[in-house]
Amino acid sequence: MGDTISFPHLDYAALWPMLILFGAACVGVLVEAFVPKAWRNTVQLVLSLLAMGAALVMVIKRAAAGVTAANAHTASDAISIDKAGLFLQGALLVLGIVSLLLIGERTLETGGPFVAQAAITVGSEADRRQAARESGATEVYPLALFALAGMLLFVTANDLLVMFVALEVFSLPLYLLCALARRKRLLSQEAAVKYFLLGAFASAFFLFGVAMVYGFANAVDFNSIHANISTSDKPFALLLIGLAMLAIGLLFKVAAVPFHVWTPDVYQGAPTPVTAFMAACTKAAAFGGLARVLYVGFDRSNWNFTPVLGVIAVLTMLVGAVLAVTQTDLKRLLAYSSVANAGYLLVGVLGGGAAGLSSMLFYLVAYGFAIIAAFALLTLVRDADGEATHLSRWAGLGRRSPFFASVFTFLLLAFAGLPLTSGFTAKFAVFGAAIGGGQTWLVLFGVLSSIILAFPYLRVIVMMWLSEPGDTTPSVSIPGALTSAALMVGVLVTLLLGVAPSSLLDLANNAASFVR
Amino acid sequence: MTLLDVALAVAGLLAVAGGVAVVSTKQLVRAGLWLVVALGAVAVEFLLLGAEFAAWVQVLIYVGAVVVLLLFAVMLTRAPIGPSPDLDRPLLPALLVGAAAGLGLAGLFAAAFGRLTVPAPGAGTAQKLGTAIFDDWVLPFEVLSVLLLAALVGAIVLSRRESTR
Repeated sequence: MGDTISFPHLDYAALWPMLILFGAACVGVLVEAFVPKAWRNTVQLVLSLLAMGAALVMVIKRAAAGVTAANAHTASDAISIDKAGLFLQGALLVLGIVSLLLIGERTLETGGPFVAQAAITVGSEADRRQAARESGATEVYPLALFALAGMLLFVTANDLLVMFVALEVFSLPLYLLCALARRKRLLSQEAAVKYFLLGAFASAFFLFGVAMVYGFANAVDFNSIHANISTSDKPFALLLIGLAMLAIGLLFKVAAVPFHVWTPDVYQGAPTPVTAFMAACTKAAAFGGLARVLYVGFDRSNWNFTPVLGVIAVLTMLVGAVLAVTQTDLKRLLAYSSVANAGYLLVGVLGGGAAGLSSMLFYLVAYGFAIIAAFALLTLVRDADGEATHLSRWAGLGRRSPFFASVFTFLLLAFAGLPLTSGFTAKFAVFGAAIGGGQTWLVLFGVLSSIILAFPYLRVIVMMWLSEPGDTTPSVSIPGALTSAALMVGVLVTLLLGVAPSSLLDLANNAASFVR
Repeated sequence: MTLLDVALAVAGLLAVAGGVAVVSTKQLVRAGLWLVVALGAVAVEFLLLGAEFAAWVQVLIYVGAVVVLLLFAVMLTRAPIGPSPDLDRPLLPALLVGAAAGLGLAGLFAAAFGRLTVPAPGAGTAQKLGTAIFDDWVLPFEVLSVLLLAALVGAIVLSRRESTR
């Protein structure tokens, strides 16, 4: 053998958060094999929480040590742990911990929100037996850890190939988690298949885009792409089509119109804790990746992609808001509202500059906590068949359990963007960034869609408080400790970020820079 | 035009024809077998371009494992072996989209790389590939193994039934 393999330098201090999560996921797989069934859930939950906590500590340590252009890149420049990347990693971990509390809840129904054996035919005798008695699959914990670790890698990926690998690593466990609902299993399996097929399609677009960008810029890492764009002698159309295909892959994950059609079906069919995880964390990861592609690899010194993405942002806001009005199922309503929120986030990104980036970071955290709390509440309102998500079932809930109805009202007002909630601060930040970046037209459409979107929220509020409770109005279960904790954290953060947002705003402002 | 150019063109045409046959045949099993032609022709292209290791991997993984897996899936899911006339394939939109994308990309690539001469990079041996993977690409490579593990866990979760009871 002539040449020896030279191992690249790995900065373990920067890689620890991901290594901890991947390692814990592997240990979780072993737990499945060796720990007795009665103990598995507890062991897995504690293991996952500890791992996420440890990873969060590592992220904070790294941030405290200071990030410079010199120490940001590691592993042959494959990943870039810069300030924005660290902020996103921290946000993902915090949101991941809160949604893991929902995933770990086992007291609301026998065995928890996940099916015990997904292979059993739906509706058979064995299926009824397992729905009533057996405890849910605990493989969901390692799968969630794999997904979260993939997200951490995705937001720090510094070249397109690593980004593609990370995209697959965080998508595949999510497809699987979607299929594991205990109730309404056919809906859940349908959601998983739809998500998987469309996701595979989007990944193929992304990969084709990578190939075309490579053809144009002769490189896949963002630095070289940025440097080679202006010097390449290939036709510009090659780059444009490549970037468009990359964008299709990423916009699919953030659920932007016209790549949003999977969102309502998947959000409705997936087990509600997984929906919360997806709504908060997938959105944060996908926007983190999208922002890095747009800010680092293809920044606007070379051309202006704002008109195209701006049209997508406007469409996303309007279509999401209008379709939310027509929904009769709360999970679907929140799904369309999450589509519209992707539009607001895009407005922030298109605002450009540090202000745009910091507004996006703030919005992701604010929205993440609010949506997790909303889905946590959805898991509480249930009848004999599981969660009662149809809108008509919520009529009169305010009379029956005023406390939970008040909390949900507060969250809906936060989504609508009323002052004293995080929704107001977040919308103010993204719209402010867009005006500062000279994109006033986006803000006009943003305000318009916010007004449309307020209607479905208010309709739910009116139904809860002004209707008489009927015989079919379900009761609100007393949440277990885990759901209570998640709910409390979500609501408190939503309130805090509305009343005193300055500390997180400062943090986001400081973090709003990528290292090229 | 050298012999190599002719061989490349023939293999390319074969790959495209195989691909068209995959999506146009009415019989699921034959679609799987046409896939052998398409993927095999791509392996020939790799071989002609000197990427011998990639060519053999293509044969082993795609022509071998993937097609076999596909045929197994057809057998195990009791899919019809004969023709499936109920397959929903609107011809006109498919032709429009396929032709527009195919011809557009062909034109684009011809304009971009048509007059480009690239020096032969030398044989693509396993050693070169291994050096690249374990040097520059070691992190994504290791992460891919994690992806495989996640897929494995997921497959077991979705398909395993406990035999007791």
